[in-house]
Amino acid sequence: MLKNILGKSRQVWTPLARGLSKTSTQSNVAAESVVTASTTKPATLILPQDYAECAPLNRNATRQAWIENTDAVAERKVGLIELHPDVFAAQPRVDVIQENVEWQRKYRYVSMANTKTRAEVRGGGRKPWPQKGMGRARHGSIRSPLFKGGGVVHGPRSPTTHFYMLPFYKRVMGLTSTLSVKLAQDDLHIIENVDIPTKDAQFIKDIIAERNWGLSVLIVDKDFMFPENICYATDELGYVNLMPAFGLNVYSMLKHDTLVLTVDAVKHLEQRLLYQLHRNDATSKGGKFKLDQV
Amino acid sequence: MAHLRETSDKALKLLRTLPRVQIGNLRPNPNSKQNDKRGRAQHGGDKHGAGNKGSGQRQNFMRLGYETGNQPFYMRFPYEPYYKGHHMKRQYPPISLLQLQVLIDTNRIDVSQPVDISTLCNSGLLNLKPAEMEYGFQLTDEGLDNFKAKINIEVQHANEAVIAAIERNGGVIRTAYYDPRSLHMLSNAKKWFEKGVPIPNRMMPPQDALDYYTDAKNRGYLANPEEISKDRLVLAQKYGYQLPRIEDDPSFAMLSAAKDPRQVFYGLEPGWLINVVDKTIVRRKK
Repeated sequence: MLKNILGKSRQVWTPLARGLSKTSTQSNVAAESVVTASTTKPATLILPQDYAECAPLNRNATRQAWIENTDAVAERKVGLIELHPDVFAAQPRVDVIQENVEWQRKYRYVSMANTKTRAEVRGGGRKPWPQKGMGRARHGSIRSPLFKGGGVVHGPRSPTTHFYMLPFYKRVMGLTSTLSVKLAQDDLHIIENVDIPTKDAQFIKDIIAERNWGLSVLIVDKDFMFPENICYATDELGYVNLMPAFGLNVYSMLKHDTLVLTVDAVKHLEQRLLYQLHRNDATSKGGKFKLDQV
Repeated sequence: MAHLRETSDKALKLLRTLPRVQIGNLRPNPNSKQNDKRGRAQHGGDKHGAGNKGSGQRQNFMRLGYETGNQPFYMRFPYEPYYKGHHMKRQYPPISLLQLQVLIDTNRIDVSQPVDISTLCNSGLLNLKPAEMEYGFQLTDEGLDNFKAKINIEVQHANEAVIAAIERNGGVIRTAYYDPRSLHMLSNAKKWFEKGVPIPNRMMPPQDALDYYTDAKNRGYLANPEEISKDRLVLAQKYGYQLPRIEDDPSFAMLSAAKDPRQVFYGLEPGWLINVVDKTIVRRKK
């Protein structure tokens, strides 16, 4: 029902909103204060998508999301943001998400499992018994792999790296797929900023309980310097983590049940991912990590 | 792509009713992983799929062309040097007029500027390997009827029909020779400029290419311009189209732009230096 209302009212608010956004698209807080200079109640923040810059693959799949407040525990819709369908309504390739998770686990994993060969096991230099005349099988060393306590053939040798590089577009597709899945499953929330009023962890706990955010929460902002309050408030909570937008990755998004993005982070992610989707020199990105090259 | 759009919407709608996608419930596509274990017994054991005895099992296949004792086919006839000097021959990878039109329609190529090798390579979809004896692009006639763009293009080889297709639309085509070093510069101009070396002269074509590039019929860059303008009319009459007057065209300056035979880049003279960091050109003193 909500979607219908949005769909119908879109023609009404879009032209007005587009005009508004031209003055300030990025710094939405500033725009709000300018608009609400006369009135006490802050005006709703409406951020339309500029499709002229990047035409979406699917023109019918529009996505809008509420922008929530962070200044109080009680939920209040501060505004509405239109999300780019190529990033937030992309084909949910769960197999590519799985490949990304596997890659993120493996590329940094170095196996330290190790076994000793017959040369490395202590002793075994002397012929255990003469070649002939004993009525026993001929042997040259008590550390041969046939012997108990002997060396191991083709055992694991350390360090073994498991590094490999996932193809460039699979990495991009992993991010867009995961963001789309999170949005589709209502696990993605957008907040106006990360300026919470208190350093108290209880505030974060209350917000999570009040707004039905999942068991674990990943909060992402564009800037890597988070405000003092939210740092103190989330420090004690192991299940709430902060991350700058440049560090956003598939594994962390899936590790946390709920993903919370600020408006700035959404704009930044859209801009970066659309750039990666449309760049024409992506073939050069994988060359360095190609295996079996001379 | 239409089916993709619909399926993505359907899949996202379906995901709303499914459990949360998590690390714990992900798995790869069925049969996408190859099992590298050597199964025993009923799990692919016995001969492990290699058959019983012989070449299949021991991998000792006969060498290619061996006919179990007969004089092999490849040795049956006296020497005929079909491929003599093949590795030395100049290659011209083809791009069709259809491909060119698609590049223009998808904004990969700006037709308000003259098009040359560097424009084509900068599109990101075509690349040239001068080290593998590729001496530039040849324009082929596929999609000739649907070619509608008015361009000023410089390629290394083109046939008569292609020349007619370009000139019919009021465009200009020219064939020009580039030596391997110039081709290397053009194929990735930015990387070459980063070396900080003055732009060298372009070399003249070798003896066996001279005839091609001095011929007005091929629109060679060393041909007499008067002969070329005469041949444009002859070709228009042969193919039966009205030759548009490029002198009256508003973009005449662009259409008539041509490089000097010694010049590698449009607008840059030999001896000049490009500073990529400061985005400046260091010109030669007069």
